[in-house]
Amino acid sequence: MTDVANTGAPAAPKTSKSLLTQDARTIKRNRAETRFKMYGIAAISIGMLMLVILLTTIIGRGTGAFQQTFITLSVPLTEAKIDKTGTRDIEQIKKVSTFGYAPLLSAAFAQKVTELGIETDLKPKDMANLLSKDAPATLRDYVLENLDQIGQTVEFEFLAQSRVDGYLKDRVDRGSIANDKNISAEQLDLVDGLLVAGTLEKRFNISFITGADASDARPEAAGMGVSMIGSLSMMLVVLVLALPIGVAASIYLEEFAPKNWITDVIEVNISNLAAVPSIVFGILGLAVFINYMHLPNSAPLVGGLVLTLMTLPTIIISTRASLKAVPPSIRDAALGVGASKMQSVFHHVLPLAAPGILTGTIIGLAQALGETAPLLLIGMVGFIASNPPETIAEGLLSPNSAMPAQIYEWAKRSDPAFYERAWGGIIILLVFLISMNAIAVMLRRRFERRW
Amino acid sequence: MKDSNISENDVITQPVKIAARNVQVYYGDNHAIKDVNVEIDDKTVTAFIGPSGCGKSTFLRCINRMNDTIDICRVTGDIEIDGEDIYDRKVDPVQLRAKVGMVFQKPNPFPKSIYDNVAYGPRIHGLARNKAELDDIVERALKRGAIWNEVKDRLNEPGTGLSGGQQQRLCIARAVATEPEVLLMDEPCSALDPIATAQVEELIDELRQNYSVVIVTHSMQQAARVSQKTAFFHLGHLVEFGDTDKIFTAPEDPRTESYITGRIG
Amino acid sequence: MTQLFSSISASVLVLIVLGLGIVGYVTMRSRAIASGGGDARNLHSLPSYYGANAAMMIAIPSLLVMVLWMLLQPMVIQNTVIKLIPDQMVSEGSSVGLVMSDVRRIADGLDAAVAQGAMSGQEAAGLDAVETDVRSRLAEVGVALGSDVQAPILAAAQKYRLLSQSWRAAMVAVVLVMALAGLGFAYRQTDKDFRARNVVEAGVKGLLIIAASLAILTTVGIVFSMLFESINFFRMHPWQDFFLGGSWAPNFRGNSDLSILPLLWGTLYISFIALLVAVPIGLFAAIYLSEYAGPKVRSAAKPLLEILAGIPTIVYGLFALLTVGPFLVNIFGRGDNGVLGVDWMSGATSVLTAGLVMGIMLIPFVSSLSDDIINAVPQSLRDGSYGLGATHSETVRQVILPAALPGIVGAILLAASRAIGETMIVVLGAGAIARFSGNPFEGMTTITTRIVSQLTGDTDFASAETLVAFALGLTLFVLTLALNVLALYIVRKYREQYE
Repeated sequence: MTDVANTGAPAAPKTSKSLLTQDARTIKRNRAETRFKMYGIAAISIGMLMLVILLTTIIGRGTGAFQQTFITLSVPLTEAKIDKTGTRDIEQIKKVSTFGYAPLLSAAFAQKVTELGIETDLKPKDMANLLSKDAPATLRDYVLENLDQIGQTVEFEFLAQSRVDGYLKDRVDRGSIANDKNISAEQLDLVDGLLVAGTLEKRFNISFITGADASDARPEAAGMGVSMIGSLSMMLVVLVLALPIGVAASIYLEEFAPKNWITDVIEVNISNLAAVPSIVFGILGLAVFINYMHLPNSAPLVGGLVLTLMTLPTIIISTRASLKAVPPSIRDAALGVGASKMQSVFHHVLPLAAPGILTGTIIGLAQALGETAPLLLIGMVGFIASNPPETIAEGLLSPNSAMPAQIYEWAKRSDPAFYERAWGGIIILLVFLISMNAIAVMLRRRFERRW
Repeated sequence: MKDSNISENDVITQPVKIAARNVQVYYGDNHAIKDVNVEIDDKTVTAFIGPSGCGKSTFLRCINRMNDTIDICRVTGDIEIDGEDIYDRKVDPVQLRAKVGMVFQKPNPFPKSIYDNVAYGPRIHGLARNKAELDDIVERALKRGAIWNEVKDRLNEPGTGLSGGQQQRLCIARAVATEPEVLLMDEPCSALDPIATAQVEELIDELRQNYSVVIVTHSMQQAARVSQKTAFFHLGHLVEFGDTDKIFTAPEDPRTESYITGRIG
Repeated sequence: MTQLFSSISASVLVLIVLGLGIVGYVTMRSRAIASGGGDARNLHSLPSYYGANAAMMIAIPSLLVMVLWMLLQPMVIQNTVIKLIPDQMVSEGSSVGLVMSDVRRIADGLDAAVAQGAMSGQEAAGLDAVETDVRSRLAEVGVALGSDVQAPILAAAQKYRLLSQSWRAAMVAVVLVMALAGLGFAYRQTDKDFRARNVVEAGVKGLLIIAASLAILTTVGIVFSMLFESINFFRMHPWQDFFLGGSWAPNFRGNSDLSILPLLWGTLYISFIALLVAVPIGLFAAIYLSEYAGPKVRSAAKPLLEILAGIPTIVYGLFALLTVGPFLVNIFGRGDNGVLGVDWMSGATSVLTAGLVMGIMLIPFVSSLSDDIINAVPQSLRDGSYGLGATHSETVRQVILPAALPGIVGAILLAASRAIGETMIVVLGAGAIARFSGNPFEGMTTITTRIVSQLTGDTDFASAETLVAFALGLTLFVLTLALNVLALYIVRKYREQYE
């Protein structure tokens, strides 16, 4: 207590300042306070602004993909062109390629223009160029399925080609087509005429949601449907594998694992795996599943396996949190009536933790659904799966794409018509993600328990 | 230790420093302080005693408006320091707290060096014009906190590395460094061992020469040892207030008597 | 017999084993009840445990053996077959892996030919490369080969087929025998005094342990899959050039410059810009949310910000390529037509484009981690600071942030690791040219971008140009792992400090 002696000198006399007036320094400090708070508000606002910009960009540029320009034409299915033998022999008719159907379209188009009384210098072939390159194939498929219609005149709604579609969506204008060999100013004049006549109209296009991807020259025909099936098949694999394995691993780590270095290694491992870049999982998939195990390239099964390994840490972490949230008293109660440790976990703890586990799983699935990079490496990009798979096994093993990979594919094609589809694809993808997250939030709200 | 010596200090009448009139405090719907009136003298140690949850800490935190940091807390009535209403809209709590220092139940040194802990207040309030002056203030505060000799050779080591008693004295030094006029202490010894407690108590008695000290304590012995005035709180009411000797020897209210004799609390 | 067994596919075998398991469950359950005289109370365990024991004995060992067998079989067969190929062919044909993939393709082709009936099994086994044009025969059944088939390769392919078939047959036999043995074992065990529950629980626990060790298996898989191919790469390409060289210029004809340094520079530059955006915004957002915002603002703003983290990276990639890139070109490029009238930026893809967008993506990452960490700073420190008359911002800047600093550093390191490993944004937004340059308006390329392009390109799989992707991947993995371990360590230490 020698210190006390040192303080013998009386404290310096203080002039007590009034509390009711703020001195200059306090005013300055309060200004700094306001500024600091402003930085925080600015930071939040920037974040929000970015979110708003992002969402408005997506919606603004993507909704166009759900609408498409259609041209209504009555096409006479002239027997002389389609079925020269007149025998209705399907093998004979199949020999007529799509090129054989093109003149029918030109003729039908020219007749329509004459009927409507639109003045144009275009040749019938150039008129028919307004139709999608898909149109002859549509016509051919129809004929092959409806042989009895040959010789009749049937009304069709054909997709218009992407420049026409872009013209109606203000993506293409007369200035921008100067060097475009796909469309000319006269053709646009004709489009204007057809638009007034109601032969050509823009409306909702379901085949963007249900259809398959199309080649570079036919952006108007490309759709998300088949890649959606690819994504869903992968999610099926992830769900079937990641959920049981993740839950089993969590139960072991949370309920049974002894505290030793092996357990520590596993735990550190899991938290590190959660932060490994996704592309590394792609390399793993390529090396192990494709090069070593020779599973089929581009198959959703392989994609699903890779995404399973990626999702496992997420599911394990959230499952362990929900198991931890079940109070020990429940375990004690079960043990107290003579249940084994295993029974107490499987009969009591696990059901109580189920909503939390489910929530975590859905969020993990949502993450996996949006993942792109590993899919590029296992080849789920860059080709066109034209038909939806017919069985589950085929869905898992035959080459397919996935929603995010399809979006990437479109983004690479450097054609504004495909860009629009990429944004539209994002809308579909986000609808899935938002629904999944909404379900997770609802589950959490509904079953949230406070012990 | 020499507690009898301390409590035998003569009670000299001092001017009123803090005056509270009709103070009510609400935490949400909970009426925590009910109609408290009290006058606290300058250069005196005043002890607030009472059972847990009686509102003594809450009332203490009203005196430097620490309750402002709690969203649901509402204070009505007047608390005046030197005749100025501290809940006046013109009063900046920051300036008020420079004048009314506070020491908390648990020692809470900042994760900085010992020097920076003590220099923190003088720096933010701009009390020193240069490094030499700041050094001087820090040294004086540490001496007044009765910890200078223990730490003078390691001022650059972190304050969190000290023992519990040293940490609390460091916190007192930190509070003293801003030259406050009132020092509020919220159970400053409850986390300390008996030896550290004795050191802090001795320090509190020293501090009385310069400050009006208000101390909340759980221990009646401590109140008897260090304070000249004692206020007894019960269920949010200020039951009795007066000279410490009188409260402990001849309480007027039966509730005070039963608390002191250990029947409630 | 061999033919019958080898024709059973893996999935059919699994179904057979599972079917046996169900049979075992049902029969052993009733056998147990019978051994207890028809009264389940006489049994040690519940009847279903006897059934589960049987199912476990039948299915688990046999399926485990099957999985292991399928994992090991390719390696064993390859080692046998590789000996049939003369050494000089391997050295001419650049690598063993390349030759083996030819062998496999021919073997698959022969399989396909037999399956389609274009060839008999005998014929396929007896083909002679000199007499028959194997290439055209296989082309008939839809298997395209790059070049004419050489005799040793064909012989190896035939051996490969033969071995695959006999090994497959052996596997089916072993798995079936094990399943039946399991059934027999369970039959002998099943008795009213048998402690079925304990055995089943021990088995379940074993399964749980296997599930938990899958995490380690994944890590081992990652490391080994990349390590082996990286070693192959370094056999073909000098490591000095990879780690110390100055340029990245892959060449289809070989002899490429494949140095990681320009890629690393691009990666770090873009990550740096991303952090420059994300750290201040994220940190201030976290400070505002945890220290200033009322509960209402907090509960609205926090999830909204976190939406940014839930948006798939492909969306950010598209945003960079089609929105932010052109926007930046409008400002910093296009000469007199641009906003600033300067011509610094020629294309939409640039370091700045990718960095900005990645920064936006990382904002919620930094903010939610920092938010947790700031909230972990004890209230007593805040009280101490307020009690001395500090303002809120002084408390934050001088007490809370220094106290939270280790945790925040950890959060920033985690964000950095994520930035370095991010792929889609840089694939679409950063450009494809590897260069050392300080100009943020130029396109640059990153490690992840090159991994994607080397592995999805048309180059031969066994060439150095492709295998370099594995060396890049391994470097990336080590880099991010080190950052993560460090960050987790710092954050854990930080939490312990305040617990």
